[in-house]
Amino acid sequence: MALTLKEQLSSPSGILKFLVKYNTVFIFILLLIFSALISDVFFTSVNLSNLLKQVSGIGIISIGMLIVILTGGIDLSVGSMVALLAVTFAILVNLVVLPLAIVITIAIGFGLGSISGYLVAYQKMAPFVATLALMTIARGLGFIYSKGSPITFKTYGGLFMSNFANNSTLGIPNIALVFFIIVIITMVMLRYNVFGRLIIAIGSNEEASRLSGIKVNKYKFLVYAISGALAATAAIIVASRTNLGSPNMGMAWELDAIAAVVIGGASLNGGKGTAINTLMGVLILGLIGNILNLLNVPSYPQQVVKGGIIIFAVLLQRFESK
Amino acid sequence: MKEPVSEYRLEMSGISKSFGVVSVLKDVNIKVKHGEIHALLGENGAGKSTLIKILSGVHQKDSGTVVLNGAEINPKNTHEGQVLGINVVYQELSLVKDLSVAENIYLHKLGASKFWMNWKELTKNAQELLDSLGFKIDATATVRDLSIVQKQVVEIAKAISEDTKVLVLDEPTTVFDPTDIKKLFNNLLKLKEKGISIIYISHHLDEIFKIADTITVLRDGVDTGSVPVSETDKDSVIHLMIGRELKDLYPVRDFKIGEKAIFEVKDLSGKDCIVHDVSFSVKAGEVVGIAGLGGSGRTETAKLIFGADKKKSGTLFLDGEEIKINSPVDAAAYQIGFVSEDRKEEGVFLPLSIRRNISVTSFGSISSKLGFINIDREYKKVLGLIEKLNIKTPSSEVNVKNLSGGNQQKVALAKWLSIDSKVIFIDEPTRGVDVGAKIEIYKLINEVAKKGVGVVVISSDMPEIMGISDRILVMHEGTFYGELQKDQFSEENILRYSIGETLK
Repeated sequence: MALTLKEQLSSPSGILKFLVKYNTVFIFILLLIFSALISDVFFTSVNLSNLLKQVSGIGIISIGMLIVILTGGIDLSVGSMVALLAVTFAILVNLVVLPLAIVITIAIGFGLGSISGYLVAYQKMAPFVATLALMTIARGLGFIYSKGSPITFKTYGGLFMSNFANNSTLGIPNIALVFFIIVIITMVMLRYNVFGRLIIAIGSNEEASRLSGIKVNKYKFLVYAISGALAATAAIIVASRTNLGSPNMGMAWELDAIAAVVIGGASLNGGKGTAINTLMGVLILGLIGNILNLLNVPSYPQQVVKGGIIIFAVLLQRFESK
Repeated sequence: MKEPVSEYRLEMSGISKSFGVVSVLKDVNIKVKHGEIHALLGENGAGKSTLIKILSGVHQKDSGTVVLNGAEINPKNTHEGQVLGINVVYQELSLVKDLSVAENIYLHKLGASKFWMNWKELTKNAQELLDSLGFKIDATATVRDLSIVQKQVVEIAKAISEDTKVLVLDEPTTVFDPTDIKKLFNNLLKLKEKGISIIYISHHLDEIFKIADTITVLRDGVDTGSVPVSETDKDSVIHLMIGRELKDLYPVRDFKIGEKAIFEVKDLSGKDCIVHDVSFSVKAGEVVGIAGLGGSGRTETAKLIFGADKKKSGTLFLDGEEIKINSPVDAAAYQIGFVSEDRKEEGVFLPLSIRRNISVTSFGSISSKLGFINIDREYKKVLGLIEKLNIKTPSSEVNVKNLSGGNQQKVALAKWLSIDSKVIFIDEPTRGVDVGAKIEIYKLINEVAKKGVGVVVISSDMPEIMGISDRILVMHEGTFYGELQKDQFSEENILRYSIGETLK
């Protein structure tokens, strides 16, 4: 029988197992305590809400990255997609009514993701290669449509969005709420929906999935399209926060997203990973950045620390699989 | 020159080997003379490959001795084996596809002490070697571009490019046509004259009686002794290969089989032409066995029907109506199931729980229109199957990788039993499964048939296929060569059809 929580904690090896199993939560809490101890400003509502606002964009694309990685793929295009779609949204918000601008932007994100999905699922292209191509295409298009400079929001709709993105509800920043809702939906989909179950099955054994009569190609196609749509959502949020769309946005975000998913314990071979752990991965990365900023550590040493954390987190997960 | 210590080049005595609890070889003895072609025979799974792999250093023996030229040897890996002069041409080709023919032939020299390779000279040598074998192959060609026959020749060239003392050929002629076989045999006779000892594994008795000097038959991991070819004939060899009793393993088939065919295949051929002109039918409640040697196209036939491989031509009928299956998705939609022989790679999801494994095919019945799974119903279904199939596990949440082979196989079966399949193909239902689980799986197959499902079982295990089938189709070289009714079931008859002979 499965052990209860109490039983698992009762033996010394049980404690170790428990820590290893929930290592992302554990690292997150440790970091929280550490941050609170070394900085007075950390536990202020201004700082915490800033932290949440900072991670929301990357958080949303990390969820897209998670579902792609669950199938055993990877999506390198999401950072550039954020740039292109932020520019697209800024152009649209100045042209058409707000709801339409939102819908079109997300649809374009879905469409661009579909191109990767088509290449991977139906043309059997390696995900790394297909999305690498989409990455440079999207970045290039972003510069073309924006003519290289940021496009500011000029209409009432733009103003509404920037208010929304910079305000809070019940003390939680609105854009963080959007991120959390997406996390919860993904959690539910992965646990209780056929779609989630099947993408995990595909990632854990594609051939067995195929021989079980699963439409492997359809699901592989869909995860990239959804990742594109989530990149569009992230783009709308980051553009609204700063009141403009710039082709320089989302630089190297795909790498942060991959890092967050990996810190969250997902396997790059597919089949293993959860939304809640990816959320933890996102928060851990954000927290490290935040606390190092508070300590006035320059950005280059910050990168070194981030890399170290990734290695540490993944090494810890190796105990888990043993 | 010193006289050889013994008249035998190679003496393997008292060789035993087991993998886990499965004992594969038990006290096997084989002695090969200088310049002798020694045929090694036995059914699938009799232990031939394991014996060869011990000789070449792939596997380590548990007990026994191997003596080469009078000195005991103990190769720890294939490289050591090669240095000693033991070269094996395996059935599965082991060439590096993106390198040239010459590079492949001299691949082993890459590990030698010289820092620079003289490819010009090696290419010249390789070409001379290939020409001497009498096959037209360009030494500079990339292996990927060669035909399968040419690849096999390159394998042989690779094996004899070294200072070979013992050459082992494992089913070398399966891809050859008669003229190629003749060429190969001429080469073998030349090697024999040079004093090289050859161990020749084949299912083709004709070939063996043409080329071999001595025959050793393995049966269930035990050698039944060696005989000179001149003192025996095909029939006695076939008898040596069989000689087991059907045990009390199999359930009684005590219900009526349907009158009409539930599933029918007509003139099916695959795009890659491994399988051609296959026709057969299954009645509701019938268990049809497909027998044949490894490589005869049994698995390929099932995969072709199931849509996992591409068809060239042929028609399928389900309940008398023609159906089109272009992918496993179509097959599953028509309630046709397929349990793969390769459990770990193609059957189960090792890192996922039993529940997630079983329910993957049955979401249709346990989820709402929007795809939300009714977890209660899922648990009920999965726990029911765990109990019914007697899967030994503390809970439905245990990952399949932690189960034993037999229980993993039951999970693979449960996946297709959880939906109401009309036809189910089971490839090697009990490979790597212990006897207890075997009996349970046989019972299960029987029960499935009883419900009116058409069951097709592919198996290399002869007693098994005779024990559970109502009818056996025997494949030979990609098509059904013969059909055996229950009263004709015998290992001899299956074997005769398998090797393209007629019944006595």
